[in-house]
Parts: sequence; structure tokens; C-alpha cells
Amino acid sequence: MLEPLSRDVGRSIESPPRPRTERTGQTTGVAVSSESSLARALVELADTLVDDFDVVDLLTHLADRCVEVLDVSAAGIMLVAPDGSLRVAASSSEEMRLLELFELQADDGPCLECLQTGGAVFGPDLDHAEARWPRFAPEARAAGFRAAQALPLRLRGMVLGALNLFHSEPGGLSESDLVAGQALADIATIALLQHRAAQHAQQINEQLNHALNSRISIEQAKGVTAERLGVDMDDAFRHLRTYARNHNLRLADVANDVIAGTVTTDLFGAVTHQWIGYDTNTSRGFVSVCSCGWRSPAMPSAGLAAAAAESHCSES
Amino acid sequence: MPDDRRMRILGQLAGIDGADMQPQRVCELSAELTGVTGAGIMLLSPDRPLGSIGATDDVVATLARLQHDLGEGPAVDAYQDQASVQVPDLAEDGRRRWVAFCGPAIDAGASAVFAFPLQIGAVRLGAVHLYRGASGALNTEQLADGMVLADIAAQSLLVTQSGVPSGELALEVRRSGDFQLVVHQAAGMVSVQLGTSVAEALVRIRARAFAEGRPVQDLARDVVARRLRFSAEEPD
Repeated sequence: MLEPLSRDVGRSIESPPRPRTERTGQTTGVAVSSESSLARALVELADTLVDDFDVVDLLTHLADRCVEVLDVSAAGIMLVAPDGSLRVAASSSEEMRLLELFELQADDGPCLECLQTGGAVFGPDLDHAEARWPRFAPEARAAGFRAAQALPLRLRGMVLGALNLFHSEPGGLSESDLVAGQALADIATIALLQHRAAQHAQQINEQLNHALNSRISIEQAKGVTAERLGVDMDDAFRHLRTYARNHNLRLADVANDVIAGTVTTDLFGAVTHQWIGYDTNTSRGFVSVCSCGWRSPAMPSAGLAAAAAESHCSES
Repeated sequence: MPDDRRMRILGQLAGIDGADMQPQRVCELSAELTGVTGAGIMLLSPDRPLGSIGATDDVVATLARLQHDLGEGPAVDAYQDQASVQVPDLAEDGRRRWVAFCGPAIDAGASAVFAFPLQIGAVRLGAVHLYRGASGALNTEQLADGMVLADIAAQSLLVTQSGVPSGELALEVRRSGDFQLVVHQAAGMVSVQLGTSVAEALVRIRARAFAEGRPVQDLARDVVARRLRFSAEEPD
């Protein structure tokens, strides 16, 4: 039962890196922000986790696996709660002394340090770690441990928690066990993410369908607009967007109206250029607005803004 | 309940710089573990195929496009029947099942096709579809891995899309996706040319492409570039 896991974990790490450069090369700020909201959602999960049998079960299974596979004496998985504190999510043993060791790390210890640095933390000899971890080191020693480690639960640049490993002998993990340990920490991260997603499956799927259908509607509406106005797709999109903005409507709703043929107002009429008035919502100066959606730059006086509009309307 | 197969596969998804569950990676691993040539994910809805993501090669992309255009094929069946689809010899067993899909699929390079539904409880998202360049069935292990991977793919897709603002698509979905947008643009244009609904225009575009034996996307590109017009008078 143990063989396949340790072998496969090793193999996945030893295999050559995947060609991910071309993908990460295109990564923009959007990816980062969607990742952060995902991470935030996960942090919320940590709060409710103790009530959920299945995830605790899976994480406990992982903690047990660490003890079996990595040659450590005890293992625990700690997660960051919404208030930033560390909570025990799973442990390879329910022994009170061990659980207290996890709790203790709110003040100092490898897990706290792991969260702060974002990297793996080693305490190879707890006999000489009192300066580093004044509360944790003596307690861990009293519980019979001589070395401690923490590996981060990583999600692209964020740390969601830590895998805490204890040894009854001084010294840390071997190089290959360290690699396997990090892989186990990554599995814990994936399991947490998937659990969260499964809980909201219905809602996310509806959202996904809605987003895809909106995209399709917008493309179809661009086609209708392009054909009716004799413009290309980019211009068609600009017309739709301007119309939506001017009428304070959502783009997807305008697109659906266009497809249904219920947009009868100025979208498909001849494009008219007529000075409508000033935009009173801007504090930067006087801005003229044309019926085509055009807006003048901010001007120091109403007269200058009107003149800019006049020149736009006569030239267009 | 934690099971060893799932653990092993999750372990293989755990990459060198943390958890990686992007659709592309899940498809690559699906192909690898089931010993097929290529894999992809089709997003489907009860009304229509929505698009494809994570295709590992051009053949898979073509198979997805065919199913998108024709509304039939292994992924469509897996989604509708909520069951896995296995056709180890497409030339032998596919023709009666998928009259329109089978020929072009073989021409594209598929000799065997398989599909697993993407489903979490009652929530149905689409299907993972796979092909082999040579005919041959999946063995029991590959089949079991394929099912677990489809399960993981469904969850990963939800993970990817969760936390994205309403009405928007996750970057990973957009980046690895093919949503046939040019076909929808063309449908909008043709609806005006013919004075029909957009849905009707979509049917006419697909029928004409099928009659002319060319990919719907090619024909759509011609419409958008104004090299091709539909007219109400001439039959198409």
C-alpha cells in the first residue's frame, strides 16, 4: 500500500520540468488577482474545516502517510485561519502533547517561521534552538522530539499553511525525503482547493456557463452590428460598448437585445454627432459629450469644451 | 474516503513549484496515464457545446471542433449519457454511432476515441475526450485512471473558475480555450444578410460548411472578412 505512493511521488519530481515558460510568460496581473481571491476563499475554508469530516479525514490520511513514507515520528498539517492565526487541521496522532505543540506555534516555532518566510524551515537540533524558538524548543524536547521541520503549503507565491514534521532523533530529512515531503504538502494544498470547489460546484458551474454564454452573445452581437453598420469587429465592439455605457446597461444585456432584435434606438441609426452637453460628474474640468459617445478632454472652461465638441462634430 | 489511486494521481499533479491544476496540465496527465495520443476537455451545456480547453495537440483540437460543429461525438455522448464512452476501433464501430463525426475524425488522425463525463454530483460541466492514433482499447488500469482524472479535471475546472468575478472567465480557461468566437461573429452577420434569427444563421452556416466539405471555422472566417455573403435567394 505504501510502495506506489512513495515511488510515484519520487517519479513526478524527478521527471523533467514541464514546458511551463510559455504559459507563465503570458501570465498577467489578472492571474495573480484571481489566485489571491482563490487563496482568500481557501483561508475562509480553514475556519470551517474542523466541522467537515471528509477533508479532515483526507488530511489526516496525508499526515499518516508522512510518518510512514518520510521516516518521521509525527506529522501535522496547520492552516492559516482568517484572523491570521495557525490552526491544526490534521495530525498523525491525537496525543495531547503533540496537539499542544502545534497550538504553541502561534508564538514561535517552525510553522510560524515557515509562514513568515514562505520557505521550508529546519530545526535539526532542538537542544540548541532555544534562542530561536524560546517557547517551542523546550516543549518539543519535553515531548520527546529532537528535531522539527515545516514545509509550506504553497499556492503560486502564497502560503496557506504548513506541513509540520517531528523527529525523535537529531537531524532533518534526507534530500529525497525532503522532495517527497514537499510533494505531500502540495497534495494537501490540491485536496483543500478541490474540496472547496466541490462544495460550490453548482454555483461555479452556473457562473462558468453564464460567462461563456455572455461571451458568445457578445460575439454574435458584434457580427450583427458589424453587418448593419458596415464596420469591422473592433468598431462593432466599440459601438456596443458605447451604447451600453450611454444607456447604463451591461454589455451582455445589450448583446442579448441586439440578437433578439429589440434594440431599436440609436445603435443602428445613422451615427449622429450632436453636442449633448457637459458631463457634470467630472471634477477635473469641463467635459463635452457628443451623441456618438465621444467625450472631450477636460477643459478649464465651458466655452473651450463646447468648442472642442463643435470641432469634433463638424469633422466626424 | 481517501483512496490510493486518487492520492497517486494528485501526487503526479503536484509540480515542482507547487500545486498545478491548470486544464492543460490535467489533460497532459490524462493522456499520459491512459496511454493515449492526446486529450482535451469540452465544456458543454444542455443547449449547445460551449467550447474546448486544454487540448494537448491539433488532432484533439480538430475533434473538439467537429463535435462543436456537428453536435455529436464521444464527448457529447459522455456528457448526455453521464457515462464513459469507449470506441477502441473508430472505423469499425463509429460509423453507425456518429454518422457525420466519424469520417472527418478518422481523416484527422483518430483511430480510437474515448470520453469521460466531467461531473460532480448532479453538476455536469462537460467531458474529457481522448484519442489514439492506432486502434486499441484501454486496459482496466487506464480506464480507472481516466475516470479519476475526469473527476479531478472537473474539480480543477471549478477551482480555476472559483473566485473569478461574475460574468468573467478565469484566465487559465480563456488562455487554453477555443470557443469558436469567429463562428458566432459570422452568425451575427449572416442573420442580418438573411433576415433570420442568429440561431437560424448558425444552422445555415454549419449546413453550408458541411455541404462544401470545409471546416465551419474557415467558412466563418470568410464571412467575417467579407469574402463570402449569404443571400436569401440562392439555396445554401
